[in-house]
Amino acid sequence: MQSRIFKNLRKDFLIEFRNRSAVNISFAFAGITTLSVSLACGGATLSPQIHSVLLWIIIFFSGMSGLSHIFIREEEERTSLFLALHSDPENIYLSKLVFNIILFSCITALVTPLYLFFMQVVPAYTVYFILTAASGSLAISSITTILGAMVAKAESRSSLFTVISFPVMIPVLWISIKLTSDSIEGGAPPELRSLLFLLAFSGVIISVSYLAFKFIWTEQ
Amino acid sequence: MHKNYSLHINKISKRFRKQLLFRDISFSAETGESYFITGPNGSGKSTMLQIIAGVQKSTAGEIFFSRGKKEIPAGERFSHFGFTSPAVNPYDMLTAAENIRFASSGVKDEQIDEMLSLFGLYPHRSKHVGLYSSGMKQRVRLIIAMIDSPGILLLDEPSSNLDSAGKDILFSEIERIRKDTVIVIATNEHDEIKLCTKGIDIAEQNL
Repeated sequence: MQSRIFKNLRKDFLIEFRNRSAVNISFAFAGITTLSVSLACGGATLSPQIHSVLLWIIIFFSGMSGLSHIFIREEEERTSLFLALHSDPENIYLSKLVFNIILFSCITALVTPLYLFFMQVVPAYTVYFILTAASGSLAISSITTILGAMVAKAESRSSLFTVISFPVMIPVLWISIKLTSDSIEGGAPPELRSLLFLLAFSGVIISVSYLAFKFIWTEQ
Repeated sequence: MHKNYSLHINKISKRFRKQLLFRDISFSAETGESYFITGPNGSGKSTMLQIIAGVQKSTAGEIFFSRGKKEIPAGERFSHFGFTSPAVNPYDMLTAAENIRFASSGVKDEQIDEMLSLFGLYPHRSKHVGLYSSGMKQRVRLIIAMIDSPGILLLDEPSSNLDSAGKDILFSEIERIRKDTVIVIATNEHDEIKLCTKGIDIAEQNL
């Protein structure tokens, strides 16, 4: 099982490295929006809540352009049958999930320091800030992986993906924004249970997705 | 090699929404037998092979793979059969060797080179498959299906897009492996039907 997941991952990274479409689009979007926000604000002093909202909006939409790509590409290039023949659904799901987690972590790792630098924000609780960014990224990756698999079979895939992702993401974004805001603001330390909620949310989504994936993936 | 594989298809039916594609198809084949499935376009030959391969679900019926007296569980079937079809597209951004390595279960590079040479693709081994012609892609598909020497080989229109040299290679490979393999071919080509020991016309079964 591990070798098959590794083979799938290696294949996806090799194709992505040669194609660079998802990574380039996501990174370009992240860089441009971060720069645009910092220019638009023009040195104005924003509250931690506004900083937090802006940061997560940039992270969210940067990820949306790249995360669905991993499944949609299999459908658009008509390679999904080839993949299905040589991997169990569970292995396919886990490899795509790991790919999305790595991609989204890279996006978050790019956007967050850029944002902090351009907006001149210094978090009061750096560890909480990093943990929130990591937990939020994990939750968003886990949701988008299974939704990406679902919309890949539909028409108007890309636009549909963002539309149906948003309502499912609301609890994650809400808590991530609140925790990020608390981490920037200082005062009382951010609530650990909110951070645990994000991790538990990811755990539930990944578990349910793992069990349901073969029904989504296999042609009826 | 493989002297005891068998494939039993029991009353398989397939329906797309309200349209019946085929109904109650049954047949069986064992190692050393080559079985053809023929029928007019749209009769469901390719769908039948995809159902046997486990990538589509049947509406009714059962499929049994067994090795000796032991049935092979559904989750382990991938490692026992090879499948090729015009619908199976290798990755355009990978080379032929990378596609074969991805699909196979741990074959050595020498074996891959050997198969690439046999099918005349060795000089093109460093090109991405996206740059191949349709005939060359078909050769890659065939190598992928055969590289692991599977006990059961499912071939959907195996000679499509192949030139006469490609067909000769394919037919001689089928002749070479047929004694040790269950071969099921979905085809309307007489050359391919002649390779088989028995078969069905899927449209006649539906009457």
